[in-house]
This record gives sequence, C-alpha cells and structure tokens, in this order.
Amino acid sequence: MQPTMCATASILHGSLQGYVLVALLLFVIGLFIVLSRRSVLIQFMGVELMLNAANVALLAFARHWNGDVQGTVFYLFIIAVAACEAAVGLALVVGLFRHRQTTDSDRADALKL
Amino acid sequence: MFLIFALITLLGALSVAFQKNLVVAGLCMVITFFGVAGLYLLLANPVAAALQIIVYSGAIVVLLLFVIMLLSAHEEEDAQSVHSVQRWGSVAAALALAAGVVKVVLSSGFLRGAASGPAPANMNLERVGTALFAEHLVAFEAVGLLLLAAMIGAVTLVKKDL
Repeated sequence: MQPTMCATASILHGSLQGYVLVALLLFVIGLFIVLSRRSVLIQFMGVELMLNAANVALLAFARHWNGDVQGTVFYLFIIAVAACEAAVGLALVVGLFRHRQTTDSDRADALKL
Repeated sequence: MFLIFALITLLGALSVAFQKNLVVAGLCMVITFFGVAGLYLLLANPVAAALQIIVYSGAIVVLLLFVIMLLSAHEEEDAQSVHSVQRWGSVAAALALAAGVVKVVLSSGFLRGAASGPAPANMNLERVGTALFAEHLVAFEAVGLLLLAAMIGAVTLVKKDL
C-alpha cells in the first residue's frame, strides 16, 4: 500500500511518470477526436493534439536524460515540420471545400472529383 | 503546479472533443497549447515553451481559425445520419487505450526508476543555438527547404488558376 501511495504522490508532483501519463492521455484524446468527429477541421485539430503529445513525451525524456540539449533541437525540427503540415493540410481542406462545398469527411467519400 | 497545467491540457483537449462549434473548439485548442507550454516551463525548458506559444497558439491556431471563417464551416449544417457504430466504437477504443496506457505507465519499472538526480540547469537559447548550428547545420538548411516547399505547395493547392 505504501509504495502505491508514494508513486501517486510523485506523479501528482510531476515525475517522469506523470509527464508520460499526460502525454499518452493527450494522444488518446487526439485519437478519439480523429475517430469520432466528422468535420475535417476538427480531425485536423486532433492530429495537432497527437503531435503535441509526442512533443511532451520527447521533452520530458530529454529533461530526465540530464537535460539533454538535443531534445530541444529535435523539438525545433518537429515544430517546423508541424507548421508545414498545418499549411498543406489546411490548403487541402480549402481545396476539398472548393470541389465539394463541404468539410464533412463523410460527404467527400468519392475517389474522383 | 504540474497538476494544474496537466488538468488545463487534458480538459482543453476534452472540450475540443465535445465542442459542437468549430470556432469555440479552436479557442479550446489555444487553452490546450497554453497548458502544454506550462508543462514545458515546469520541465525547465522556457525555449520550448516560447516556441510552443508562438508557433502553435500563435500561427497554427490563427491559420486554422482563418480557414474556419473563410469556409464558414461553423455555419455548415450537421450531418444527417449519426453513425452509432462510429461513435460508440471510438468511445470504446479510446477508453480501452486510456486504461491500457494508465496501467502500462503505472506498472513500468523503468519509468518509476527514472528518479531525477540533481536537477539539470535550465535550457537556454544559447545552448540550443550552439547545438543547432554546430551539429545540425545540414538538417537546419533542409528544414528551410521543406518550409519553402510547403509554402509553394499550399499556394499551388489553393490557387484557382495557376
């Protein structure tokens, strides 16, 4: 019983376990958004949340690896790729809306224009 | 403090999941991103926190809100049919994954054993910049090219007649 209580307290005060738990739960919520919602824009938000969850885990591990600087450098690259992904993804949504007048992923289910 | 920022992050994400209005969902994303930035601050990484606020809550959410307004997507009517399989399937999948994740993290000896020794120094921009330009110069240039390619690609996709 005692170790369990101790582990819970250390999670609540931000041990590595706590950060990894938050990151994984954020990822699950993002996945839930992508699976359950049908607006393409909301699904895009879910993808961004999943990307953020990966970043949280990366920086938490970097911090507990003696505060390694490589983690932050890699985070910089991830954020650049995320910006590219946002720009191209939203351009795709706009293109979809041009052709279909909808952002509902259920109404854009044909493979041809 | 950790608990506060973790709750801000997770509740913001959950409110995105259950929000009907697209604009409000975008604003909930901002809350989530600020929570994540707070987590980075607690990880003694103010560089990452500043980047998070500038790029995510600044650029990406603004771009997203622009697109929502441009398409008037928040005024679009709801889908006619509700797929109960999709709804309950995603709920079940998310709950199962969340339970599995909690169990794995709580029972992981590696994560529990990773008690931090002496707290490392705060991350500062000088260390990041030195590592970036001394060891990752090629990757830095490649990211510049990637951004250019994404910009041209986005313009090409959106433009009506090129």
